[in-house]
Amino acid sequence: MIDLPALPLPVRRRLREILLDRSHPLVLSFGSGWELCGLQGEPDWYGIELASAETAIAALRDLFIGIELDQEQAIPFVELTNGRSVHVHLIPDGEAFHLLLLDAEPARAAQRDQQQLANEAALAGHAKSKAIDALKHIRSELERQRGRLAEANALKNALIATLSHEFRTPLTAAFGRLRLLEQGLPADAGQQRELLALRRNLGQLQVLAENLLEYGRGEAGAAALNPVAVDLAALAEDCRTLLEPLALAKGLQLRVTLTASAPPPWLDELRLRQVLVNLLSNAVRYTAQGEVALLLAWDGKVLRAAVSDTGIGIAPEFQTRIFQPFNAGAQHGSRGAGLGLSIVRRLVEQMHGTLALESTPGHGSRFSVQVPATAAAPASIPPAAPLQGCVFIVEDDPDITQLLELTVQGFGLQTRCFDAAPAAIDAALAAAPALVVLDMRLPGMSGAEAAFALRSRGHRGAILMLSADAGSDARAAAQRAGADRFLAKPIDFAQLEASVRELLAPR
Amino acid sequence: MSAGPYKVCLLGDFGVGKTSLVARFVRSTFAAKYLTTVGVKVDSKEVSRPGRDPVKLVLWDIAGSNALDGVSASYLRGAAAVLLVADGTREATLAAALDLLMQARTLLPSAAAVLAVNKFDLVERWEVGPPTLAQLRRSLPVIETSAATGIGVEQAFAAIVAGLVP
Repeated sequence: MIDLPALPLPVRRRLREILLDRSHPLVLSFGSGWELCGLQGEPDWYGIELASAETAIAALRDLFIGIELDQEQAIPFVELTNGRSVHVHLIPDGEAFHLLLLDAEPARAAQRDQQQLANEAALAGHAKSKAIDALKHIRSELERQRGRLAEANALKNALIATLSHEFRTPLTAAFGRLRLLEQGLPADAGQQRELLALRRNLGQLQVLAENLLEYGRGEAGAAALNPVAVDLAALAEDCRTLLEPLALAKGLQLRVTLTASAPPPWLDELRLRQVLVNLLSNAVRYTAQGEVALLLAWDGKVLRAAVSDTGIGIAPEFQTRIFQPFNAGAQHGSRGAGLGLSIVRRLVEQMHGTLALESTPGHGSRFSVQVPATAAAPASIPPAAPLQGCVFIVEDDPDITQLLELTVQGFGLQTRCFDAAPAAIDAALAAAPALVVLDMRLPGMSGAEAAFALRSRGHRGAILMLSADAGSDARAAAQRAGADRFLAKPIDFAQLEASVRELLAPR
Repeated sequence: MSAGPYKVCLLGDFGVGKTSLVARFVRSTFAAKYLTTVGVKVDSKEVSRPGRDPVKLVLWDIAGSNALDGVSASYLRGAAAVLLVADGTREATLAAALDLLMQARTLLPSAAAVLAVNKFDLVERWEVGPPTLAQLRRSLPVIETSAATGIGVEQAFAAIVAGLVP
């Protein structure tokens, strides 16, 4: 402890100057009842005006509420009303006491700056931590949602695959039976009419089923194109056969015109057929009198199809909307699911083609489709010739089995039928049939597994895979397993014959 | 003529809004910008009571901390009540307020105590849940406050007055 009186006078003087200069002391002396007895120092430094000293004294008095005044007290860093910070010291002096105010503002300012930075950093750290937690939560939620979406998508795909099978299998059987009836029965006019009605209704059911399946697949689920040599005359005739009964029932004329100046185009026939049938169905539906016309023109590069009618036409404001799904009600007199034209547009796009519409309300509409051939036409189609050999048919649906059997036998071939793969494999390895026709979805061992088992055991005969799932995954799986050809159900019998002939042609 | 004056100390962690609560209560003002309090700031206000004399409260807005140090403890001398302040958006400040209450009780065993859980205007970001406050209400008055909007501020100080003057 320094002995102040012992210090040299100049030092004491300098020290006094420094302390007074830095602390700006103010001494307020009070009697026992807070009556101001004396004041020394710089009151204005602390915002205390002598004229209104009572307010300042009241504020100072508040500092000592509940505190004994006969003991020394120190209250550091008290902010006064003028915003300045002071250290307040209470110094008892007998009955009286003194308050000593020392300026603490420089120290307070320095401490506050430092404290402010530290506190702000801590608050920012807390906010950052919360933000990170929130992001983690969002990420986990997104992952959960993604998982649910993937699960829902897988379920949807499974449902579509199941529906494909459930729709196409009975349709295949029904069409096949119908064909047999048409071929085998010398039907009279009444029977022919009934068969036509049956074909018409089956056709509508098929179009509806295909539309629903196509819609369910969605944009991203489009199967790969399945180009085949399309017999345009047969296709045109099929369209006529399907739509003519509907047109005639309404008193409409259905004109089908085909102009082909080149070998058959290689196109996805199923998609093309779906496009034409949808357009023709719509044309017949919205035409009350006059005619519906289908014009097919093939020049070796592009297939042009135009479906025109003399129907109600489509107002300009509806011409975009009609290509949206579920647009039923978009125009007067509309019926049906409202899927047809949206499916048509999607299918045409999948075939890399274009679709155009010209329409005048009250006069009719014309839908024009242009589709480029997807592959070069083969130099020649294998000529029809009698076939020989044995074909194994492995199919669990007895109706389809019988249908295939009758059809294949119609080509002059022998058949053996199996309803499960293992027995068929054993028999095929023993008998080496020229062709094994496998259904992709078999109970127990699947068609793909069976094909793989045959190939891995040295079977060298042809394998034709049939599947109700026309998706690219099914096609690829069949090819990977060793199938030579893949046909989607419902089976196009012309396509089946062409495939069988190609597979059994001498190599 | 007013009852009191009563010294009321505001205790709580930094940034919970002690200074803002006093500014809202005494001057009906609010500044969004956070400014650290160093030392203490003393304000006073007379609280009117229907049919009774008003009560003068002298409010000691003490620098925020999660524990009482020597200086903070010195500020508590003579206090009749403590207003503990927590920030609902930071659960740790509630724990700090309760710790401060425990420490203050050793110095001021008979002081009235009220807990203000501040920043009620940001309730969607609160970390403090209703069950926690429901449980705390069994031990002391708990008021949700917002210095920004004024919600609960008068009630918090009214609860203090109720604890001081039966």
